[in-house]
Amino acid sequence: MALGRLTDTSGKMLDSSERVRYNRQLLIPDFGEEGQKKIKGSHVVIAGVGGLGCASATYLTAAGVGHITVIDYDVVELSNLNRQVLYGDEDIGTKKVVVAQKKLSKLNPTVEITPMHAEITEQNISRLIDGAQVVVDGLDTKDARLVVNSACVQQKIPYIYGGVSRLRGMITTIIPGETPCLACFNPEGPRGRGVLGVTPAIIANLQALETIKLIMGHNPSLAGKLLVFNGNNAQFRVYDIEKNERCAVCSQGLLS
Amino acid sequence: MNVAIMPAFSELIVKINPAEKVTREGLLNIIMPWLYAPWPDARGKGVVELEVEGETTRALLTTLAEVYRQVDVDFAPINPKTNDLDEDYDVLVNDKNYVTIPHGLDAKLRDGDEVKVKILWRWDG
Repeated sequence: MALGRLTDTSGKMLDSSERVRYNRQLLIPDFGEEGQKKIKGSHVVIAGVGGLGCASATYLTAAGVGHITVIDYDVVELSNLNRQVLYGDEDIGTKKVVVAQKKLSKLNPTVEITPMHAEITEQNISRLIDGAQVVVDGLDTKDARLVVNSACVQQKIPYIYGGVSRLRGMITTIIPGETPCLACFNPEGPRGRGVLGVTPAIIANLQALETIKLIMGHNPSLAGKLLVFNGNNAQFRVYDIEKNERCAVCSQGLLS
Repeated sequence: MNVAIMPAFSELIVKINPAEKVTREGLLNIIMPWLYAPWPDARGKGVVELEVEGETTRALLTTLAEVYRQVDVDFAPINPKTNDLDEDYDVLVNDKNYVTIPHGLDAKLRDGDEVKVKILWRWDG
């Protein structure tokens, strides 16, 4: 599985404090100190820090991703607090990315958190994701996701789609040039039907796992597959998916 | 009724009692191969022919759910708790949403009708 960018681990030594902080990860076969240095040398962009983004940002920060950019245009609202666990009552009215930076930096001061208070558009997306090894979906509209999907395909950056509603969610890992992209499916579906807070947490933690695998150079488990989670009956199902050879985004010379 | 089923992007397209042989012309791509799970031999042709007992959209969806269930694929457009369409799906009959058609899922299908069973994606965050 090819990656858009390889992690630069030069000069990314672990100090004694980091060896303790990440001890449980260092013990994992195929991770170890070299793996942790890859994580430390990586840059991940989290597009949207709502229910999905709060959870993925928390675990990627705790795991020691060296640089995380969080993008969001909203301020914290009371109705966010059932699922957006980086925020509390005292944060209502404050820009989400400002609070996220503060909370994530407190969780792991060794991680550089860059807040970008911006609405994602076709005009700014290339700049916003420039330099990222992986873009993690934390958005809440189809249109914004398709904008990010298209830019990731163009810039050959892996993009991990995740979406939820009520007790159900979906995830797929998009590797430009190798797997279907989001636009391949002409996807449809409503939004705003409600979300139980744990649903985005489940999907976002799978997104974080896929992100870490990509950073480590391991094969992501959900590339070319669609995982569908149904919390009503606690079922996870994984289906193979294939590229749409007529996809307007990933099959018309954009990758050449 | 006899139906011809064509898996498309995120949907099944079903022709009811088609007068002519149904082909995939204009529908070349097959990107969710698991939709062929009950009929693996049909993937090359891209069209599944099936006999459905009953004459309504509900009968069609119930039959489809049963054939997918037999191969352990979760494709169940009717939610047994509500006896209505499950939130993961939408259904159009001749491009009209089933809720706008008198009798909804229990409306009788006619020869030549086209039913689309859409698998909905998730967009909240």
